[in-house]
Amino acid sequence: MKNCLGIINLSEVDSPFGVLCQNRPASMLPFAGRYRVIDFTLSNMVNSGINNIGVFTGNKVRSVMDHLGSGQPWDLDRKINGLFLFTPTYDYTSINAKVGDLDLFFQNKSFVKNAKQENIFLAKTYMIANIDLKEAYQEFLDTGADIGIIYKKVSDPKNRFIGCDKINFDGKGEFESIGTNLGMEENFDLSLEMYFMKKNVYFDLLFDSVERGNANYLKQAVLNSLNKYKVHTIEFTGYVSCINTLRNYFDANMAILNQEISNELFFEHGQIFTKVKDEPSTHYKKNARIKNSFVANGCQIDGYVENSIIFRGVKVEKGCIIRNSIVMQKTHIDENVHLNYTILDKRTTINKGVTLIGDPSLPYIGGKKAVISKEGDI
Amino acid sequence: MKEGKMIAMLLAGGQGSRLKLLTQEVAKPAVPFGGKYRIIDFPLSNCSNSNIFDVGILTQYKPYQLNSHIGIGSAWDLDRRSGGVRVLPPYTSELGGRWYKGTANAIYENISFIDELDPEYVLILSGDHIYKMDYSKMLDFHIQKKADITISVVGVPWDETHRFGILNIDENNFITEFDEKPKHAKSNLASMGIYIFNWKALRSYLVAEEKKAGSANDFGKDIIPQMKLDGKKTFAYEFEGYWKDVGTVKSYWEANMDLLSDDNELDLYDSNWKIYTKNKHLPPQYIACGASVTNSLINEGCTVEGHLESCVLFNEILIKKEAKVFNTVILSGVTIEEDCEIHNAVIMEDVTVKAGTVIGSPDSNIIYLVSKNKIIETE
Repeated sequence: MKNCLGIINLSEVDSPFGVLCQNRPASMLPFAGRYRVIDFTLSNMVNSGINNIGVFTGNKVRSVMDHLGSGQPWDLDRKINGLFLFTPTYDYTSINAKVGDLDLFFQNKSFVKNAKQENIFLAKTYMIANIDLKEAYQEFLDTGADIGIIYKKVSDPKNRFIGCDKINFDGKGEFESIGTNLGMEENFDLSLEMYFMKKNVYFDLLFDSVERGNANYLKQAVLNSLNKYKVHTIEFTGYVSCINTLRNYFDANMAILNQEISNELFFEHGQIFTKVKDEPSTHYKKNARIKNSFVANGCQIDGYVENSIIFRGVKVEKGCIIRNSIVMQKTHIDENVHLNYTILDKRTTINKGVTLIGDPSLPYIGGKKAVISKEGDI
Repeated sequence: MKEGKMIAMLLAGGQGSRLKLLTQEVAKPAVPFGGKYRIIDFPLSNCSNSNIFDVGILTQYKPYQLNSHIGIGSAWDLDRRSGGVRVLPPYTSELGGRWYKGTANAIYENISFIDELDPEYVLILSGDHIYKMDYSKMLDFHIQKKADITISVVGVPWDETHRFGILNIDENNFITEFDEKPKHAKSNLASMGIYIFNWKALRSYLVAEEKKAGSANDFGKDIIPQMKLDGKKTFAYEFEGYWKDVGTVKSYWEANMDLLSDDNELDLYDSNWKIYTKNKHLPPQYIACGASVTNSLINEGCTVEGHLESCVLFNEILIKKEAKVFNTVILSGVTIEEDCEIHNAVIMEDVTVKAGTVIGSPDSNIIYLVSKNKIIETE
């Protein structure tokens, strides 16, 4: 995939995640014990041989910069190609506030223009999967299409993919349009919002939309000119989870406890890479009892943990009962704490004897660096 | 000469033959330790944490795994624009090729490497020990004492003094006598094999020693006694903390088990003195429904369905249902099948222990070293 440039746009909506996304975009949400949501898209690209990648960071830049850095964990700290970050810029001279990603792409057009690659792979990060993009890319090339869209046939009785893009086919099974899934049908064709595009098509869309002023988002531009281009849909048959609501985020984490799913997500078409923390192994102490849990390195656990995801460097003291919870990096849970359906953000401190109970549909959330004490204690 | 600059030379060529099968394929410094590390990670991380960024690593015995582990040193932040980590194997010259004859000869052969870095001090380390130490404090001591040689020492139990090179010192930490493996020791301070030399002085002694016929070209046997004889000032720097020479299978097993005790002095969780190692990018560990895990260290990529008590597990290990493992060190890639019962063992890389196997018993002191095709018993 030497001839393919990668573009990741971190334009997902943060609002469903409340305090978890106060200072980070949804793509930087911690996931599965040691990862961030973006690691999957980025690793898929790197594993498939895309080694020139631009990331449009959105406005919560600090979190993005901190995680991606020079791109070293993904082997993207390169002299030739590598990782490029594009932050939003303010244009004080324009009277129109710019919404959408199109303006951003337009402002940074020289990155794509100067790149030697002739095709582009555009992706968002909120679809978590382990995909062999090499195979999809080959299919895109073989059909000679202008635009390739990766989709998956899903059966969605639990309405996990409400609000996601939906591919519509005509009676002959030919691509017809892209719409929004409202959950009217149980079985539908889910767009993973991963597109292959010829570079000249990208620029045609970009320039045309800027001239006409009829689109704010690249996706809009694609939809406006579907009749002009040959669109090919590429089917993906593996596991996908979608991080677009708090409930889905919680369930996608819990799905990792299924060994089949975790084996597919972490090994199927290559490893998932993330920022390294150099934590020692996890120490299960004398009173530890662990059932059906996913635990990262650097933890010291002396309590009871069941059906939970424990991130790196978490301390669980004795007498604690943690069930159905997500506990993020460097959280300290003191003695006799009881958690059920709780999400604790990074570096949270839960003092002795606290009980936090959420509900599967609405987990209790402890914000980053929060200190939670029992009533009466300071 | 760059004033005040110290570089480290790490002797990593030893075989460590008493570790038996553990060093059949790798040099002793490359032997896995503590659930995710190799022994050499300790001195290398100490260097990095002590702000010593120029490290020459002298390799000789089976260097392949060591070389690939070290790479360009990025895991220890030792990939530097100038200096950084350098692997220094024996080489051939117009006079023919030869192996390093001894510890001092290994440094002698790399004089040009050190000259190019042009330090004032050279720190000699061995890649065989488990400890956390701030070498910059030892250098401060060396400078403060205006010493020519500083040897780091550690107090060992009196009943083990006969196994070590013992140093006798006066109240100023001046070394009065070397006592190699004494029957009746006068002190319990053992040499840790860590030396700081003034490079200019050491350089001339290395050159002189090389000319002597029949010399063992060893720091402990030749260079240091000769320098002392010539009146060079030798001081002992007393190190306090955990230090272990994992020379035998038994002591290797013990050192791993030490990590499980509550009052373990080697605190791996101290974020001010992290031990770094090459990262394998594995997902977290999964502890299944029917599993029970107590007092154990487990690394990334493991799946535990069985019963573990006081074990140290490396990465990518599968413990199947109804398997029971006690007081055992399990290296990476191992599978322990159903209904096994294992006590007091070290299980080597990529071994599959077949279902129903019983190794060891709870009331025996024998340590079992389990490899792919045989099991060795050691006391």
